[in-house]
Amino acid sequence: MRKRHVWMTAGMLLAALSSHTLAAEWNMPIGVTDVSREIYSLHMTIFWICVVIGVVVFGAMFYSLFRYRRSKGAEAAHFHEHTMVEVIWTAVPLLILVGMAIPATATLKKMYDASEADLDVMITGQQWRWHYSYLGEDVEFTSNLGTPREQITGDGERSEHYLLEVDEPLVLPVGKKVRLLLTSDDVIHSWWVPDLAVKQDAVPSFVNENWVRINEPGIYRGQCAELCGKDHAFMPVVVEAVEPEAFEAWLAERKAAAEAEASGVDREWALDELMERGEQVYGSICASCHQPDGSGLPPSFPALAGNQALMDDSALHIDTVVNGVAGTAMPAFSTTLNPVELAAVITYERNAWGNDTGEAIQPADIAEMMAE
Amino acid sequence: MWKTVKSVLAAFFGVQREAQRREDFTSGKPISFILVGILMGIILVLILIVVAMTAAG
Ligand SMILES: [Cu+2]
Repeated sequence: MRKRHVWMTAGMLLAALSSHTLAAEWNMPIGVTDVSREIYSLHMTIFWICVVIGVVVFGAMFYSLFRYRRSKGAEAAHFHEHTMVEVIWTAVPLLILVGMAIPATATLKKMYDASEADLDVMITGQQWRWHYSYLGEDVEFTSNLGTPREQITGDGERSEHYLLEVDEPLVLPVGKKVRLLLTSDDVIHSWWVPDLAVKQDAVPSFVNENWVRINEPGIYRGQCAELCGKDHAFMPVVVEAVEPEAFEAWLAERKAAAEAEASGVDREWALDELMERGEQVYGSICASCHQPDGSGLPPSFPALAGNQALMDDSALHIDTVVNGVAGTAMPAFSTTLNPVELAAVITYERNAWGNDTGEAIQPADIAEMMAE
Repeated sequence: MWKTVKSVLAAFFGVQREAQRREDFTSGKPISFILVGILMGIILVLILIVVAMTAAG
């Protein structure tokens, strides 16, 4: 009776282990690239090798403990060495390790071969967002956290992809080899998308290479995988893989938008226009530290509302935002934001929350200053 | 000499017969084991380099 109980439990455990739903929830994803599939099958092969070794080793141990127990009058054998057994227990693990290393090395070689790519994308980590630049295509943008603030503070119900959604995903074509060039503007980040089997560090002043060829269109989500400061948890990665034709159309659309934005630098902007644009930029870039109401989190992140030093000196304000403040948490935004966005957000800060300076900072002036 | 090489190989592998160990410690000179050990260490590294280069090539 007791024996049958043990077998039933073991059988249920095995059935649960092999069931797909459990595997999907607890196991690593199979992913959507050839490399990710290879990594998955390596992982499963090595997992089952470990299971067999575990069963054999612990089986032999428990069997011996039980079969030769003292209460049955077992006597220990006393001998010092047994060369043949020692050779076997050294050689068998060696062969197993080499047997696992050969396919693993073959996969590693594929992973490191980033040559002959169809498309190059530069990925720059910034506290706390990702910046994507399609090299040779004049298309670049910043990808910010898309989850609304009230969900984070607990004032709203959490959406399905809470903290795994962005305002603008990285769009990539399926079936093309895309080389990823990773670096960082500030501290070490790590760009991680499990379904693409890519987890690559983004290190300041280094450029790391990786590549993907995505087989299936879809949306793939990931996160920064290197603890990088206050909002480490709030810089997700979203990759949208689309058919090549759709990708070309998207790229053309982005180029047109970039041109329109560039022409916007030269014209004179009205205060209302700048305020509207600035509010958007402030919400996605500045609010996480300086707070939506401009009250900041002193002493690390000073208040902007009623900040007399800044309001009295627009040049200081512009310099602070564009070039950052060395030795503080304030980064330079000249690489994250374009002149229109910089002018808009500075104008917004100078006119929101009772900072009624009435000043409109013109994009042309910012562009001129940045060109110097 | 050949005996020393065999003992160093056994040390690389990590298994040695007790009788052989006794003999090495009574009749062998330390300096010969040290020199043969260093030489064979270098040879092992060279072999690994060649294997890695052919695998990568
Ligand atoms: Cu990060």
